[in-house]
Amino acid sequence: MASDVDTAPLVGRADQLAALRSALLDDVAQGHTAAVFLTGESGVGKTRLLAEVSARLRDAGALVLTGTCLDIGDASPLHPLRQALRRFDAELTAAQARTSSAVRGLLQMFDDETPGPDGAGALLERVSRGLHLVAGGRPLVIVLDDLQWVDRSTRQLLLYLLAGLGDLQLSVLAAIRAEALQGAHPLRRVLTELRRLRSVRVVDLAPLDRADTDRLAAAVVGRPLTPDAAELVWQRSGGNPFVAEELARALRDGRDGLSDTLREIFLARVDALPQHAHAVVHAVAAGVEPVEHWLLAQVVRLPEEELIEAVRAAVAHRLLVGADEGYRLRHRLVAEVLAHELLPAERSALHRRYAEALTSATAELHQARLAHHWRLAGEPGRALPAAMAAAREAERLHGYAEAHRHWSAALHLADAPAVVPPDPDRATPVQVDRAELLEHAAEAAHHCGEHARALALLEELAGDPDGPPACALHIRRARYLAAAGRSAPAEAEYRRALAAADCTARERATAAAHLAELLLHLGRYAEAGEQAREALQLAATVEGSASEVVLASAALGFSEAFLEDPDAGLAVMREAVETAERSGRPEDVACAYLHLAELLTGPLNILEEGVVVARRGAERVAELGLGRTWETRLLAIATNGLFRVGQWSEAEKVVAAALRHRPSGADAVELLLARCRLSVGYGDIEASDRDLEAVATVLAGGGARHVLPMLILRAGLAMWEGRHDLARQAVQRGLTESRSDDVIVLATLAWHGLRAEAEAHASRTIAVDETAVRRLREVVDRVARKSQHAGRPVRYIVDGFLALCAAELSRLDGRGDPELWARSAAEWDRRNHPYPAAYSRLRQAEALLARRSRVATAGKLLRQAYQMAQGLGAVPLSSEIRTLAGRARVTLEERPSPAGGPPAPAPRRPAAALPAEPAVDELAVLTAREREVLAAVAEGLTNKEIGQRLFISERTIGVHVSHIFDKLQVRTRVQASAIFLRNRVEQS
Amino acid sequence: MTEPVWGPVHQDIVGLLADHPADVPAVVDHLTKLQDLLVRLPPLEASCPLADFNKLYLTITSTVLDGLYDDRFADPAFLARLDVEFAARYFDALRFWTESSPSTPKAWSCLFQRMRGPDARPLPSAAAGVNAHINFDLPFAVVTTLESLESEPVDDSDQHHDYLEINKIFAERIPELRRGYLDHWQLMIDMVNGDIDDWYQGELVEYTRNVAWRNAQKIWRCRHDPEARECERTRLDDNAALLGRLLLSPLGAFLQ
Repeated sequence: MASDVDTAPLVGRADQLAALRSALLDDVAQGHTAAVFLTGESGVGKTRLLAEVSARLRDAGALVLTGTCLDIGDASPLHPLRQALRRFDAELTAAQARTSSAVRGLLQMFDDETPGPDGAGALLERVSRGLHLVAGGRPLVIVLDDLQWVDRSTRQLLLYLLAGLGDLQLSVLAAIRAEALQGAHPLRRVLTELRRLRSVRVVDLAPLDRADTDRLAAAVVGRPLTPDAAELVWQRSGGNPFVAEELARALRDGRDGLSDTLREIFLARVDALPQHAHAVVHAVAAGVEPVEHWLLAQVVRLPEEELIEAVRAAVAHRLLVGADEGYRLRHRLVAEVLAHELLPAERSALHRRYAEALTSATAELHQARLAHHWRLAGEPGRALPAAMAAAREAERLHGYAEAHRHWSAALHLADAPAVVPPDPDRATPVQVDRAELLEHAAEAAHHCGEHARALALLEELAGDPDGPPACALHIRRARYLAAAGRSAPAEAEYRRALAAADCTARERATAAAHLAELLLHLGRYAEAGEQAREALQLAATVEGSASEVVLASAALGFSEAFLEDPDAGLAVMREAVETAERSGRPEDVACAYLHLAELLTGPLNILEEGVVVARRGAERVAELGLGRTWETRLLAIATNGLFRVGQWSEAEKVVAAALRHRPSGADAVELLLARCRLSVGYGDIEASDRDLEAVATVLAGGGARHVLPMLILRAGLAMWEGRHDLARQAVQRGLTESRSDDVIVLATLAWHGLRAEAEAHASRTIAVDETAVRRLREVVDRVARKSQHAGRPVRYIVDGFLALCAAELSRLDGRGDPELWARSAAEWDRRNHPYPAAYSRLRQAEALLARRSRVATAGKLLRQAYQMAQGLGAVPLSSEIRTLAGRARVTLEERPSPAGGPPAPAPRRPAAALPAEPAVDELAVLTAREREVLAAVAEGLTNKEIGQRLFISERTIGVHVSHIFDKLQVRTRVQASAIFLRNRVEQS
Repeated sequence: MTEPVWGPVHQDIVGLLADHPADVPAVVDHLTKLQDLLVRLPPLEASCPLADFNKLYLTITSTVLDGLYDDRFADPAFLARLDVEFAARYFDALRFWTESSPSTPKAWSCLFQRMRGPDARPLPSAAAGVNAHINFDLPFAVVTTLESLESEPVDDSDQHHDYLEINKIFAERIPELRRGYLDHWQLMIDMVNGDIDDWYQGELVEYTRNVAWRNAQKIWRCRHDPEARECERTRLDDNAALLGRLLLSPLGAFLQ
């Protein structure tokens, strides 16, 4: 098509072009992802820049997929991606048969998708596999324009892929209108979160400056403008290139003066159009872009040749652009100008023609467009079936947000009186059951988290004579309320369901089981247990009620565990596994295993058995075909259990196996956090960082539950990096965002906060923040107070952290109290968690050495701690133990672990924090102790400070220093330090 | 080119605004630094009307931060995020103004325009800022926060109670700030006016904050409809701008 009408050159964007290219391609490390979000006002040249960058990326060997989001309101899930694939396919030549078949395979996959459990997650995985095939080893770039209209499914897909969960190397480039981000646009928050990540950039595209505006205008006109004219263009355009270009064109064509505003320019052009071309622009304006040629032909009803001539004229007047896939208006401004030009009757006639043309032929977004046009044609009766079909179509692709939108539209349509009298010649449209529409709309709203709306729809349904009976309504209302987190009204609804006269035995069992679960979540253990027993009795009389049995058993098991009768609870839960295995659906079996494993590794702290159950359950559910969801959940439990008992290398294998399923959403976050916990322990900073970034990427799309664990890990990682300021920040944010009844999280945060301050105090990286310490003390007191009323298992965990907190506080007050550290070590030994136990021993030894008392005990503790840390593979902890041992001259015998115990895994990487090994000539004359003293001298420490660090007297240090001076034949500390530093440099 | 928007402190303010605080402690830090810069802005310096608002906002936010540490709220995750999201809109408005962007909300620009004079009384200036921030920014901040938490604006929820708790913080802080503004002749006016003045301040905040919650619920219902959402935004901006101009007019000075 004639889209090449004298395009103006791209002015003033050279820097952005280069920056975007490197951010999206050149600087992206192997296996990483990157994204750039381009914001800017309309007309500032976002679309143009996208096109230019795409062309350059393509030339550099990248595979670029380009899609545009639509503003007809979440038309269809993943529409921009499917459109991009179709566009790409159309450009492929015969020589690219393999790529083409990969693209078609992926498109076919969308058509074949069927609704099912975990559909949304599995779809994400399949899309990423499909894209992998399409990319065929080339770097993949997804370019999306008008992202402000993106549908929820596409948004989730982008975050999934950017988090690296699809195991796909890709970059995303998207443009967003800045105006749209004001107010309460959902992308606003997403961008705020994403812009903090290293892999993401938000680039604000500013208008051109004066010089570039002049250059652009001169290029359009073909010669430099007179100062007056240039000033005029600058004043009126404000540097907006779209406006500047159009003004310059008007100037060139001698229409200056007529066109004060852009609106007037376009109005003048519309007026100047030949009659047919006029009809064409109005038709495109009423359509859903891009408007296919065949469709336009049917709508304007012109013979082919006249149509082509009309289109040419519209393109030449710069109102329309054409591409292979169809026509669109040159700019949104054109649509705004045209909107006021047509009479309502004219417009609805155009929509009618669209609808009629689309009825007889399928096209992209068929049902959504059909519904849209029939509605605007004033024929709700004919729009209704299309809206319903669009809703079902969205549900098929698991896009419940879009489905909800379409069901709501359908409800509206069902209520709307027809504007046009029904055509007597045509059969009356299908009669729809209003109750059925309400039912669907409510369920879709519930699935996409529109809880208030779901409840409102349910109320309407309750008033409908064809609606469901009372008990079913109560149960459903309770379910919606519970999902909205409104526990009190949910409880009341379950009780009403149980009391309802029409309640069947099955419904009674269901309501009782769910009520028990709800009571458990509210911490009302005794009531939950009672209710669960009742539910189990009720379920026993109902055939095929394994789901209820599993649910009630879990509630009973946990409530017993919290009420200090763990054995009884465990027995119930084990029986539930049996019941589910005998007669349950696969999901029941999976659920039963999950609850049993959670019970064991959670409140009961029977970790080894919990891990075994989780792994056995994982195998079992994989056999049942539930690998992606339930297997990954069970393996996440196993990983965390293995981490705590200290089998880190095993945990690493398990988490890797789970991630191979490419999970999404909360399941993915859970696993990434588990893997990150291991990496922090190993001291693998890069891997930890990458997982934390991935978690933050997924959480940008929503989900507050995992923010606190993420912050705790961030603090832990910062600690090993010596960034106590960052650790403090993470803890402070955590403390301001956690609920006061979440004592475990608060206790964990308090320990990290106090540890950061204590280490800052000891290592003098930053000054201790007295206000922070005061607040942390308050948190510790509050947690101690509140946990007294918590269940035993909660208290058990909290007490461990409180022991750590008390001991850290003693470090802040003085040199650390060995007694408090001994207590902490004992607490964690009792819990079978070697990591904090080893850490506590290290600190206990340090405190003893600082007091120069019981040096032999300190040595023993250090050796124990070292062996534990080595067994774990905890590199930074080991290296800290080694440093302390070196300073205290304690030998850490590195023996192989005793026979029978688990083999100690080799450290994954050489410890970065290892003290430099003496090797080079000049220092060879010194003893090991003298070298340590010299290292401290080189740091600028006084003899007194060195004595404190190495746990020997100041006088002994003086002796060492004089020996060093003799051996190195120097007379000053500066000279000695110089030799030391020179030799260190040579070694490294 | 003309003189930069922020005069001698332009670069400092641009640098400060390039950062996007992620949590409440960072917001407090940001407002503190901003305050130090605003009082250096000629010609009004310490009597810069925006500084009057910023100071009030800093006091309120510091109190919110203390409340978060001291277990004052039922749903701290909500309140902390709301606070960050709320502040982000003030910083956004400042950023737009810095770039002389036409996107600067009108509700704010009526206060920003007064930065170089003529001198406005501190109380109406602070009130004009409170007006823009609460009447215009707050409903959107509520919607964005709840959406990101996958929650909803439900009356009588924990989140609603926490939200109302902020009214108490305003009530606690404003009388004290009032006293800070007093000088001789104002003291005289106060003696004549009695408590009416305090009533006026307290009521303004409480009343507008409840309106903001209702507006948030209204926006919530149409948040997926770009056109309706934009319409609502313009309406709120216009209303807030109207009230803002009134506060900064001689009538506002009279109220002080």
